[in-house]
Amino acid sequence: MSSAQPIILGEMPSLSKLYVNAAAAAARRRILGSHNSTALPLVSHEVRGVLADVGNLTAYQHLLGESASDVLPAGFIHALAFPVAMSVMNRDDFPLPLLGMIHLRNVVEHRSALRFADPMDITAWTENLRAHRAGTQLDIVAEVRGAGEGTVHWRGVSTYLAKGVYLPGIDKAAAAAQPAAFKAPDPTGLWQLGVDAGRAYAAVSGDFNPIHLSVLSAKALGLRRSIAHGMYLASRALADVGSAKGEAFRWEVSFEAPVFLPARVALDISTVQTDGAAWLRSDYVAWSPRSGRKHFSGSVVAL
Amino acid sequence: MSIDGQSVNGPEAPAASRAASSAHAVRRAVVVGGNRIPFARTGGAYTKSSNQDMLTAALDGLIARFGLQDERIGEVAAGAVLKHSRDFNLTREAVLGSALSAETPAYDLQQACATGLETVLGLANKIKLGQIDSAIAGGVDSASDAPIAVSEGLREVLLDLSRAKTLPQRLQILARLRPKDLAPDAPNTGEPRTGLSMGEHQALTTAQWKITREAQDELAYNSHRNLAAAYDAGFFDDLLTPYRGLTRDSNLRADTSLDKLASLKPVFGRNLGSQATMTAGNSTPLTDGASTVLLASEEWADQHDLPKLATILDGVAAAVDFVHGKDGLLMAPAFAVPRLLARNGLTLDDIDYFEIHEAFAGTVLSTLAAWEDEEFGRTRLGLEGAFGKVDRSRLNVNGSSLAAGHPFAATGGRIVASLAKMLHEKGAPDGRPALGLISICAAGGQGVVALLEAQ
Repeated sequence: MSSAQPIILGEMPSLSKLYVNAAAAAARRRILGSHNSTALPLVSHEVRGVLADVGNLTAYQHLLGESASDVLPAGFIHALAFPVAMSVMNRDDFPLPLLGMIHLRNVVEHRSALRFADPMDITAWTENLRAHRAGTQLDIVAEVRGAGEGTVHWRGVSTYLAKGVYLPGIDKAAAAAQPAAFKAPDPTGLWQLGVDAGRAYAAVSGDFNPIHLSVLSAKALGLRRSIAHGMYLASRALADVGSAKGEAFRWEVSFEAPVFLPARVALDISTVQTDGAAWLRSDYVAWSPRSGRKHFSGSVVAL
Repeated sequence: MSIDGQSVNGPEAPAASRAASSAHAVRRAVVVGGNRIPFARTGGAYTKSSNQDMLTAALDGLIARFGLQDERIGEVAAGAVLKHSRDFNLTREAVLGSALSAETPAYDLQQACATGLETVLGLANKIKLGQIDSAIAGGVDSASDAPIAVSEGLREVLLDLSRAKTLPQRLQILARLRPKDLAPDAPNTGEPRTGLSMGEHQALTTAQWKITREAQDELAYNSHRNLAAAYDAGFFDDLLTPYRGLTRDSNLRADTSLDKLASLKPVFGRNLGSQATMTAGNSTPLTDGASTVLLASEEWADQHDLPKLATILDGVAAAVDFVHGKDGLLMAPAFAVPRLLARNGLTLDDIDYFEIHEAFAGTVLSTLAAWEDEEFGRTRLGLEGAFGKVDRSRLNVNGSSLAAGHPFAATGGRIVASLAKMLHEKGAPDGRPALGLISICAAGGQGVVALLEAQ
């Protein structure tokens, strides 16, 4: 739990309103000049008694290639918690422009199973504002507990970058060392992502970020085409790791080159087992079979 | 004695139930013979023939050959891999459309490309246990007349419409339809869990086992040469009934040459970063066709004055964890055969004929390479060294799927009938009955293998 002051929201924030508000805030900033806040808000937002919609859960599971079990997939919980996280970044005292922020990394600790009929309390806050060689980055943390319980079942940390934004008081980070050249291994899987892959994920996650929806809406935000949602890619890799991962695991993804739609994405999943053939971890990496560029990589590790 | 006009004199039923309780007393199941229609390349002679048409044609040829008109067979089992939902009772419908007694029961089975062989093993077991005395196993597939499904969007709308009660509800549901929902879903050969096609999977395995283009082309060349020679020698005269103008498999290229095969461009593995060696010449084409096999107890065959070609000794199904590349998709037989031979106290040297289904030339050669590999033998098969070497002069001696084609579920029946005939002709060369081994790989990382003995 954060030490931040909790603010209880009466209902789940609407993502579409948050996006509209973020666009309005961006316009305001453009007219009125830069924001005066340089620190993260010292509050957390909380929504209590959240219930998953079972129809939406089934649609999510089918889209991602999970079997439609009663247990909520880790990526589905991320989608459930996302509006709460967004609402924190949408606050007037949040120092960075929300639209255009880049999702760099995501780490989820899925400590124990939550079922669709279990009401949940979802809390989110921001922390760890720091420099990045290309701007300013921060973490947004979300925790999910069973309603009224103390135990955290699910904890997610998403790292975002505000590209080209440098805040006073935060020293510019040194340029990172050149990453080792990526050489694609033999793939174990191949995804065919249609031009509608972004819309399909928006429909099950509720995240209608325009950069994922269509060529036009993506162009409006300065991209040449729409791009696949990072959490769609990571959640599909998680589903592909399969049932070996059990109930408690740590799931990590680092995003590199975006996946412009439509696309073919090659994937390699390698698994480490104990001598007794018990699953320990699976590492995954995905790339473009055409250009050989790495799109993302990550791991799922037993907790 | 009869109930509803059907004789209840299930032959030797009491004796058989005693036999089943003692492993030693389990009786033999023999292959009486087989019949198939020539296999046709997709879009060829059988384009408009349905699975039921082709299975019925193969069945009627078998009935004619062995005089089974109006015979009540113990059970008929067959299947198809690409199946219309309306064909839920495909085999029973084929029986009803055939000259067999309408009182012959039937069931459908599906185990991808192993379907045909698995029907043989399942029915043979029923015969061995005395549950039935005669059986017909088979399989059919049409890649020409493949089912095409409506899109998920349209399907959901149609299903929801059928549940709607009022006009406004129906209109609301119809309003969900989008133009893209009208595009149909055609079946594809991609593995559901990996998105890679079977050819792309095999390309990875072929590269892993360092199988050369030349070795694959040579295997394909031998397949065509051997099949053509078998046709010329009249080997298929009592295994095949012409259909729709075909008297031979239309994929057979008797005049192919190593040069011709070498001139073909690779089709699989081009996007995988590995060296591409798999062409349309050393991979099986999509094919239409059907096959059937008549199985019986020795007593039934004798009573009906029918031949006994070979005994179905044993069979093993195996599967590999291919999803993340631990093993190749089509490598399950590499594990199944060592288990089958070990439990029968045999080695590869004891086998007179090997029938290794040529899904791709690379599949056969990767399997042979694994068996010859010391490390694979030690670490994966738990042996002291390599499993062994297959005498290539005993491999697919009358051709296999690269030449004949591969209508998925029909391949098992093709191989069982041909091998049984070869074993019967071979007899007992060294005073012991000749042995034949069948190995068939299947989608989903599966494989079914079987052991037959000459009668």
